[in-house]
Amino acid sequence: MEHAAPAIFVALEASDFALGIRKSLWLYPAANIGHIVALVCFAGAIAVMDVRLLGGLAATTPGRLLVRARTFAIAAFVGMAVTGAMLFAAEASHLAVNPVFQVKLALIGVGLANIAAYEFGIRRAVDGLAPTVPMPMAAKIAGALSLGIWVAVAACGRSIAYAG
Amino acid sequence: MIKSLTVVAALGLVTGGAALAHHGWGSYDAAHPVTVSGPIQTLKYENPHALLTVRAKDNNKVWTVTLAPTFRMDSRGATEKVVSVGKTVTAYGYPSMTDQSEMRAEWIQIDGKKYELR
Repeated sequence: MEHAAPAIFVALEASDFALGIRKSLWLYPAANIGHIVALVCFAGAIAVMDVRLLGGLAATTPGRLLVRARTFAIAAFVGMAVTGAMLFAAEASHLAVNPVFQVKLALIGVGLANIAAYEFGIRRAVDGLAPTVPMPMAAKIAGALSLGIWVAVAACGRSIAYAG
Repeated sequence: MIKSLTVVAALGLVTGGAALAHHGWGSYDAAHPVTVSGPIQTLKYENPHALLTVRAKDNNKVWTVTLAPTFRMDSRGATEKVVSVGKTVTAYGYPSMTDQSEMRAEWIQIDGKKYELR
C-alpha cells in the first residue's frame, strides 16, 4: 500500500541529516530509546496533572503541584519532539503517508489544543484553589480528555511500525 | 464524557490493529519459509533495517530481503564489507504477505558463514 509522499518528505529523507541517522549504527536506536524514555517521563508528569485535575491527590495544593509537574512535562515533550523528529526524518517518505502516523499527529494536535484550552482558560479557576476543594467540572473534563488523548497517542506510536 | 474518551482511545488501537502490518514479523508468512540464493544486487546498510536485493539463481526472481538493524548486523559479524554487492548470498526467511517480492531473513549465509539475524 505505498502511496507517493509529497516531495518535501522525500527530500527530507534524502537529506544528509536523515542519511546520517540511518547510516550510524547507534543514532537511530539511541533516538528510539530516547523517544521512549521521554515518553515515560511525559506520561508520568501528565498523569500526575490529570489525576489532580480529576480530583485525586486531593491533599495537595493544585496550583503548586501542577506548576512543578508542568516543568517536567514540557522538558519531556521537548525530548520527544527532538527524538521524534530524528526518527521521522530517517523514514519521512514512508511515515508521512502512514495512516496511523497521521492519526497520531492529529491526536497530538488535539492534545495540545486541550492543553491550550486549559492553560488559557480553565487554569485561572484552578490555580488559587486550596487542598481538598472540589475541582471545577471544566478542569475534570480537561484532565480526563488529556489522559485519553495521550494514551491513544502512545498506542498509535507503537502501532506505526505495523501499519501499511 | 467517558464514552467519547473511550472512542478516542479505541480509535488509536483499532486503526493500529486493523491496518496492514508492514515491519513486524507478523506480516511475514512463517508457515512458508523460502531460501533464496544468488548474487547481491544492491545493499542498503542503513537503519532501521538493512536491505539487500538478490537475484535468485534458479529463476532469476529479484527478492528484496529485509535484514536486521545495522547495530545487530555489525555485532554478529555481518558488516557492510561482508554483505557487499556482487557476493553470493543465501537468505532463509519468510515471504511478505503483502509484497510478493519481499522477504524477511531469519539468517543469511555469505562466504560459507551463517549469520543469524533475528
